[in-house]
Amino acid sequence: EQWDMPLAYPASNFHSENAAEFAVCVKDKTGGKLTIVTHPNGSLFAGNDIKRAVQTGQAQIGERVTSAHENENPIFGIEAIPFLASSFDASDKLWNTALDKMKQVLDSQNLVYVYSVPWPASGFYTKKAINTVDDLKGIKFRAYNAATARIAELAGMIPMQIEAAELSQALATGVVDSFMTSSTTGVDTKAWEQVSHFYDVQAWLPRNTVFVNKRAWNGLDDSTRAAITECGDIMQKTGLEKVKGLAAKYIQTLKDNGMTVEPPSPELEAGLAKFGEVMTEEWLKKAGPDGKAIIDAYKAAN
Amino acid sequence: MDQFYVIGIFLLILLLLLGSGVWVGLALLGCAYIGIELFTSRPTGDAMMTVLWRASSSWSLTALPLFIWMGEILYRTRLSEDMFKGLAPWMSRLPGGLLHTNTVGCTIFAAVSGSSAATCSTVGRMAIPELRSRNYPEHLVLGTLAGAATLGLLIPPSLILIVYGVTMNESITKLFVAGVIPGLVLALLFMVYTAIASKLDKNWNPRPEPSIPFLEKLRASRALLPVVVLIVFVIGSMYFGIATATEAAAIGVLGALILAAVQGSLNWHTFVDSLMGATRTSAMIALILAGAAFLTLAMGFTGLPRQLAAWIGSLGLSKMELLMALMVFYIVIGMFLDGISSVVLTMAVIEPVIRQAGIDPIWFGIFVVITVEMAQITPPVGFNLFVLQGMTGRSLLYLAKVSSPMFLIMVLMVLLMIAVPELATWLPGRVR
Amino acid sequence: MTALLCKLRKPLDTLYLLAGVISAIFLVAILVIITMQIAARALSINFPGSSDYAGYMMAAASFMAFAYTLNRGGHVRVSLLLGLFGERRYLVDTVCHLIATIFSCLLAWHASTMVYWSWMLGDVSQGQDATPLWIVQMPVAVGSIILAICFIDNFVSMLLRRQDNIVADIVE
Ligand code: NA
Ligand code: NA
Repeated sequence: EQWDMPLAYPASNFHSENAAEFAVCVKDKTGGKLTIVTHPNGSLFAGNDIKRAVQTGQAQIGERVTSAHENENPIFGIEAIPFLASSFDASDKLWNTALDKMKQVLDSQNLVYVYSVPWPASGFYTKKAINTVDDLKGIKFRAYNAATARIAELAGMIPMQIEAAELSQALATGVVDSFMTSSTTGVDTKAWEQVSHFYDVQAWLPRNTVFVNKRAWNGLDDSTRAAITECGDIMQKTGLEKVKGLAAKYIQTLKDNGMTVEPPSPELEAGLAKFGEVMTEEWLKKAGPDGKAIIDAYKAAN
Repeated sequence: MDQFYVIGIFLLILLLLLGSGVWVGLALLGCAYIGIELFTSRPTGDAMMTVLWRASSSWSLTALPLFIWMGEILYRTRLSEDMFKGLAPWMSRLPGGLLHTNTVGCTIFAAVSGSSAATCSTVGRMAIPELRSRNYPEHLVLGTLAGAATLGLLIPPSLILIVYGVTMNESITKLFVAGVIPGLVLALLFMVYTAIASKLDKNWNPRPEPSIPFLEKLRASRALLPVVVLIVFVIGSMYFGIATATEAAAIGVLGALILAAVQGSLNWHTFVDSLMGATRTSAMIALILAGAAFLTLAMGFTGLPRQLAAWIGSLGLSKMELLMALMVFYIVIGMFLDGISSVVLTMAVIEPVIRQAGIDPIWFGIFVVITVEMAQITPPVGFNLFVLQGMTGRSLLYLAKVSSPMFLIMVLMVLLMIAVPELATWLPGRVR
Repeated sequence: MTALLCKLRKPLDTLYLLAGVISAIFLVAILVIITMQIAARALSINFPGSSDYAGYMMAAASFMAFAYTLNRGGHVRVSLLLGLFGERRYLVDTVCHLIATIFSCLLAWHASTMVYWSWMLGDVSQGQDATPLWIVQMPVAVGSIILAICFIDNFVSMLLRRQDNIVADIVE
């Protein structure tokens, strides 16, 4: 049997590389009974469409940034609550706490969870030094989703709606002065051409999750399913190790290209943590008791 | 062998549908539908709608109808007639005369718009009636326009260079800068061709422009002012950070409306005509784009473009042979797919091949864009041909024939880029 | 049959024109939204979801205009084979209309199904606008249905009169 696996990011992105490795693993473990063809760079379905495509069987398996679907169910946005889980370990803990609920929600949407690997944490890219949250006031900031728009609001920044494709031009012409993204995306888009400072505030660690269409899954024999689960577990582990190494490497690349890369000052960190509390409260209001149980369990474990 | 069978079936269905006269957008759509039904077990209708909705509701697509509307306003309010009055005294002495307004107009408008279809529609709306009324030969009017409008892709801003940059993780700024010199050189080649063609054409007999003294010429040039102001305004809004490249189209429409109102040529009638004209042209292009997007999905499911690209990569060609093979490859798939689709579908396989061969990815981006420019004027799927067919009612094959010299000039341009790679690498090297 | 078609002629043409006018209004709406987006930025105001709205208007403007564009000769076709058949041209042309009718009906059917499922599943946009998708996808389905009606209309016309209702509108 052959499955199509749409991916949103270019073939050279580490998530796409992981998916390619996953496909090889499945092929080996099933002795070629199941082959998975990866379609990177949105060449089959665009990122926005991958989840729906897998839900409805247009593709059997796919990968998507979980938090992009927060509008459907707040639980999808849990790892993207700003300044809640601000390290690889914390993010992993939060994810594992939420995993049962996550699997349940995916199941209700006709999807079977396979594995999930985080991106390096999002930080602030700015054109000037930022020492406290007050320094953020009045900066033209790219707000591309509800969370970033809320951060802008809390910090008194001017939110600018700019699509990803137009970001570098918008920075070059001064439409925006600042944006938040991971070190990976900063390197991929050559952020140093436009901005001078990177503050590794570890705002959140978005995750790419791989899922299978339930009907396609049910059509497999037990050994093939076991192979997929096994390969998924391997990818989740090796993927996390890989991204930890990459995060350090990407930050070095930003430095090598002349950017000032700094951890946030204690004042800035404290200010941002306050925003985090506000936004966690707001998320809890949307997510209800299920969300509260997860957050409580996560906080209790720390 | 299996793959050749699939290619064969696809081409046969597509050519049969297109050749028998089924409307282009529906032919692409139908071919993809039949292809997915035949070669996969996926739910065809759902997949079709996923892709159609994504392709049709895209934010960056909104620039297209707006630029087309701007062209319609210029055409219907006689702003374009004024522009020709201003240009005529200066260009009439050049060999090729006012025919050069096609290339010059497209070059300037290419700096405003990121798409080839919008450039073709806008400049065509203004230039075709004026050039026809001056008795310029039809085949040169339409041919040079179809070719020169493709500059919209090479001269920044450019939608396809953004897609290429994101796909390859290359700097979009550098790619934009890299496109400038090749764009201008290509424009120059088009103008040289225009001059030579005008000398060789047996029926060359345009209405002579009155010969007037220098001061009179300057005075006549005042008529140019409104459109020049409009273009400076649109480009300026982008470079001073007031609008993004997509939003600049809205500035263009507002500017054109204001100018026409100031000039007194805007009334309810011209407003409605321009709006309905833009609605029709952009609906025509949107249907074809939707069909093309679905065909791209069908191609993605079959893996054809990727396998072809992988096959080229596996041949172990020398750098020169590789580039020639890739040029032929992109010309061939460009006959059937639109430019952005051919980049997205093949780059995952082509990227390692060209990096391994030591080809500069910025230079290669410009190389690819020129081959994609060719694709705009090759039948059966060539967007500039569609725009001109919609505008003039001429047949697709006639339009393809008259623009074939421009196709050859672009092949020449690719060879020139290979001989002198600095055309694309020198300027970006000067940028930080 | 011919009499029925005559009776339907006026309402059908009105339907196509009306859809075209609605489409033109959507085009103006795109202009308004983008202008507001530019203005909002200049005034440092947030306009969440503006580019998403412009995208929905784009889809609506395109699909609602398909039928109107068809009868005004706006959709392009390759007429090579048609020309070769000379006197018998209408035969090939009728087959063409039949094929186009089938494809446009497929499109109308699947577009309607898409809206139905978006409504059933409660799909919302992933952007800041969080719009229920069935609302913004509705014009796509309606436009596709009108296009299918228009092709059926033209096909029947080909059968009865050996002539379609397409009148091209081109630069003089
Ligand atoms: Na351009
Ligand atoms: Na072509």
